[in-house]
Amino acid sequence: MSEIDEYVEAEIQRLLTEENSLAEQGITVHRREHFLQLSGEVASPQRRDEIVRLVRENFPDVPVRADIGVTRAQAPREAEELS
Amino acid sequence: MIPAEEAHRDRPHTMISVAAVADVHMDDDVLGRYRPALDELPGKADVLLLGGDLTRHGTVSEARCVATEFGNLGVPVVAVLGNHDYHCDQVHQVVQILTDVGITVLEGDSVVLDTPGGRLGVAGAKGFGGGFAGRCASEFGEPEMKAFIRTTCDIADRLAASLAELDCDVRVALTHYAPVPDTLAGEPLEIYPFLGSYLLGQAIDSAPTALAIHGHAHHGTERGTTPGGVRVRNVAHPVIKQAYNVFHLHVPQSPGFATAGTG
Repeated sequence: MSEIDEYVEAEIQRLLTEENSLAEQGITVHRREHFLQLSGEVASPQRRDEIVRLVRENFPDVPVRADIGVTRAQAPREAEELS
Repeated sequence: MIPAEEAHRDRPHTMISVAAVADVHMDDDVLGRYRPALDELPGKADVLLLGGDLTRHGTVSEARCVATEFGNLGVPVVAVLGNHDYHCDQVHQVVQILTDVGITVLEGDSVVLDTPGGRLGVAGAKGFGGGFAGRCASEFGEPEMKAFIRTTCDIADRLAASLAELDCDVRVALTHYAPVPDTLAGEPLEIYPFLGSYLLGQAIDSAPTALAIHGHAHHGTERGTTPGGVRVRNVAHPVIKQAYNVFHLHVPQSPGFATAGTG
């Protein structure tokens, strides 16, 4: 297994934001013991899949696990009273 | 807490109901996702505020998705742009597309809406970074550094002036960047200077503001307060985890109500 160093972490974080098909600033990159974890929430399943695909494509030697949710978009059932 | 729809229908006309969301990052893959919840807005709120990052990169086609999703909702929609909406340098076209479907886009200006509960004034600006008291950038050193903080100062000054000139019953400040660190809790401390500025909080505190709405901090938290006591709400979509939040703002009846017409 290749070593996941801080520079790789930084490169992936920048890829997530600067790659035009991603433009994600809400994903956290964590270096775990044997893999690199991507976590956070995105607006659609397609965006989640594209993040994982591009990170794997650009960093083929880095074992990546994704725990990325799709943000729910239901109507609120309650209002907040601000008196 | 009371069910939003019931409260809106039966509420006395001394309350203004404000719905808000930020960071919807529209593109064609998200089109229609918010719409079922948005169709319920006329029963729930007097206005919808959009706190920036409406698009992924600020392109014309993404702006058209915003217009399709958030246009013609049956309630007024007031927006500010976010940093993502500036990415492709098409701000003018983006604003035009939103304006064409009746969305009011604010940047250092304001709008007053007549609602059954009273006149709601919204002053809006994207805002910018710089950090918070004691841990902030200063207008000092390299030209790039001075330009960075001067940008925030200028935006904050315009926000303060917009809030001050509002003639309304209830004032709301709408930004993309955060005016306080409270609502950033959950974000790495190291990036706070990129997420907001105390100068925005100071502008909000310079007027009798009832509520400050912002987005931008996807990992932040919902609630905070300015040093002057103004309630701050982070409505970034990944924070609120629903299509929008609804806030009931109580309209001051006296002496504010009696003097509202002369103010």
